[in-house]
Amino acid sequence: MAPNEFRMRVAYRKTGRVRFLSHLEVMRALERSVRRSGLPYAVTHGFSPRMKLAFGPALPVGTAALREHFDVWTTRYVPAAEAMRALADATPPELAPHAVAYVAHREPSLGAAVTLAEYDVYMEGKGVTEEAVQRALDTVIGSGRLDVEHKGKQKVFDLSRSLPKEVRVRPTGSGVTATVTTRMGQEGSLRPDMLCTVALSRARCDGAVVRVTRTDTLIEEEEGPRRPL
Amino acid sequence: MPAESPDVAWERLEGVLARVERPARYIDSEWGAIRGRDGAYRAALAYPDTYEIGQANQALAILYQRLNAEEGFAAERVYVPWVDMAAEMRKERIPLFSLESLAPIAGFDLLGITLPYELTYTNVLELLDLCEVPLRAAERTDDHPLVVGGGPCAYNPEPMAPFFDALLIGEGEEAVLDIVRTHREAREEGRERAEVLERLATIPGVYVPSLYDVVSDGAPMNARPPAPDTVVKRAVTDLGEYRPPVCGVVPYMDVVHDRVAIEVLRGCTRGCRFCQAGMVYRPVRERVADDIVREVMEGLACTGYDEVSLTSLSTTDHSQLEEVVRRLTSRLESTGVSVSLPSLRVDAFSVGMARLLAAGGKLPGLTLAPEAGTQRLRDVINKNVTEDDLIDAVSRAFAAGWRRVKLYFMIGLPTETDADIVGIGELVRGVLSAAREAAGPDRGSVRVAVSVSTFVPKAHTPFQWLGQAPLDEILRRQQVLRDAVPRKGVDLSWHDADVSLLEAAMARGGREVASAIEAAWRSGARFDAWTERFDLTLWREAFASAGLDASSIAEREFGEEDVLPWAHISCGVSPDYLWREYERAVSATPTPDCSFDRCTGCEVCRALGIDLVVGGERRGAQ
Ligand code: SF4
Repeated sequence: MAPNEFRMRVAYRKTGRVRFLSHLEVMRALERSVRRSGLPYAVTHGFSPRMKLAFGPALPVGTAALREHFDVWTTRYVPAAEAMRALADATPPELAPHAVAYVAHREPSLGAAVTLAEYDVYMEGKGVTEEAVQRALDTVIGSGRLDVEHKGKQKVFDLSRSLPKEVRVRPTGSGVTATVTTRMGQEGSLRPDMLCTVALSRARCDGAVVRVTRTDTLIEEEEGPRRPL
Repeated sequence: MPAESPDVAWERLEGVLARVERPARYIDSEWGAIRGRDGAYRAALAYPDTYEIGQANQALAILYQRLNAEEGFAAERVYVPWVDMAAEMRKERIPLFSLESLAPIAGFDLLGITLPYELTYTNVLELLDLCEVPLRAAERTDDHPLVVGGGPCAYNPEPMAPFFDALLIGEGEEAVLDIVRTHREAREEGRERAEVLERLATIPGVYVPSLYDVVSDGAPMNARPPAPDTVVKRAVTDLGEYRPPVCGVVPYMDVVHDRVAIEVLRGCTRGCRFCQAGMVYRPVRERVADDIVREVMEGLACTGYDEVSLTSLSTTDHSQLEEVVRRLTSRLESTGVSVSLPSLRVDAFSVGMARLLAAGGKLPGLTLAPEAGTQRLRDVINKNVTEDDLIDAVSRAFAAGWRRVKLYFMIGLPTETDADIVGIGELVRGVLSAAREAAGPDRGSVRVAVSVSTFVPKAHTPFQWLGQAPLDEILRRQQVLRDAVPRKGVDLSWHDADVSLLEAAMARGGREVASAIEAAWRSGARFDAWTERFDLTLWREAFASAGLDASSIAEREFGEEDVLPWAHISCGVSPDYLWREYERAVSATPTPDCSFDRCTGCEVCRALGIDLVVGGERRGAQ
């Protein structure tokens, strides 16, 4: 790490229509925001220099988010409030930054440190009631494991590890919302929409997951989980 | 059309987007997109292919900027949904919508569709159908948007003429405002569609097909007043008067030409005889160095891109290129931003410029286009490049660090014999050995890519009277080439000859071809430019169902006195000049570039009342 560089952490959201972007598309878009903002970003040394930028865990296409993070290294200290303003002015509102702060160089990377994610999964359809969905989810979770197929690959999740917190269902809009906290692990991370889809089919109701929002991402520490920023 | 708010429309769309490939194609919200303009007059601008193919189109970007800058007008974008999305939309009864406001296109005042290449023709019909707008202009009423075409293919508009209310021939900077203002005015006066069209036909450069009747095959079109007998293209006098759209839309998804593009000059007068662009975009008009440098810097700052391309048909011909390149490389030093040139002339100067631009960074791809394998054939097509130029350019490039070069050739060119094809093999061998020699100890990593397309005789070129070589013959010549090109160190690739045949049939046909295009679309043809979706059998059947034969149209020859299907359209270059150029081609006599030398008499300057705009002395190989 170059000694005269500063590590700036930015919290941002992914809302509205841009929830249909892939992680790669979001990364590229934010890299361009940083460039437009005029912040004195640092570049990597080497054959084709690139902006020094690091992101937290990937979000799938279709999943919205309220508190995602990236780190960007700058060559000059810029007061956080000023940086925040510059970034906000240079970013589409759907990906707007909402907090900026400096973090220590020695902190582990976002990708490695963030292990917990909280989601709101909104479901709708015939027979989709708070009780039915809660019961179905409890049954699935009670079985201790979940087999899912994703893109032709078979995955097995140990639910006692993957779901560190109780899953709660509440009525919202014309459907229900389940709040699911997942822990990312070796086998990848459990997609909360898959968990809910399995539960819906167990409950034999004619409903579907309509919208998924990652509401928080957290770093697990001995004193308990904390936000990256 | 029930007007929904964007939020309601979005809710209907969300479920669909969750089920389709690459939903980023349909979500708008990009940086630089212009939303919420409450123009009383709304235009939808369409590119007849997917978002990622059409997003970077510079002509549409110019129109988008021009219209949105005009009080009382608003422009939004639309692309052709991929087949999965189209199926979902039809199932859910969602009509095609604009990206920005998610509003149904059928409710717009105008739908502008650019025609970039012939293989997008079925996509135009798909687009109209998804918009729920009648395919044929004759079936539209006052309630439908005015459907206006433009772009390169408008120079032979006939195969698509029945589907358009009007087509703009030539450049849009000024004409687009003439069209929308005239349309709005005529409607405010309560004019009916037919009267609106008559008025549009009086705007220079505007072709209204319904006012031109086909009398009989081989006879001139009958133009009904006030439509002119010949529609002459529009062109702007001075590019410098129009700021290019430097702060355009910055897409989220990976699109073709995903970078800032600054048009540094328009037109090319090198005079390659196969090249339609070289004829129809005349004369040469350069932007001045100061403007180019300023626009590049501004474009980078407001888009956040890390790459900029200096675009045109022949950027290395710009008289101030060296100055531009030196100023940009010094201003962009150690920013990680790269500058690229889209195509290089085959000479040492061009390679030098590319080298300078790459200083310190990665070398860009090196693409050179000798087009033909022998000097005789290069003289026929007026590609004023010698074998020595090519070898010299390659030697310098490989000495400067390049290890790959891509060479473009064409087969099926007029007067071509097997000796010319064998000549391609020999030229490639020469390039390979020059490259290896220059690469020295690194000779093992040298690769030469050879890309071969099939010649399509295009309208408004000196070869417009000639037919395309028959498919069997092209396939035979491809085999000759395969045997002639060295294998080791060479990657040989082809354009599909089937595709070129269809391209020729659509580029050379008359109004009768429209029925074949419609029949092909009805039997499922769309995205024909996507190799996996192209089906010549389907197309042959479609032509047959319209009583036509695609091969006969592609191979048809015309005499000097014959009326060509595009005779009522003029790009300003005189037919006499084209015929003279054809005769010079047959005798393998080159014609110099008028921007280096004197006027060679194509007459475009007189016809359009404009002149060459060249900032300094043009240099480099002649
Ligand atoms: S009229 Fe003469 S100067 Fe003008 S483009 Fe043609 S050849 Fe060149």
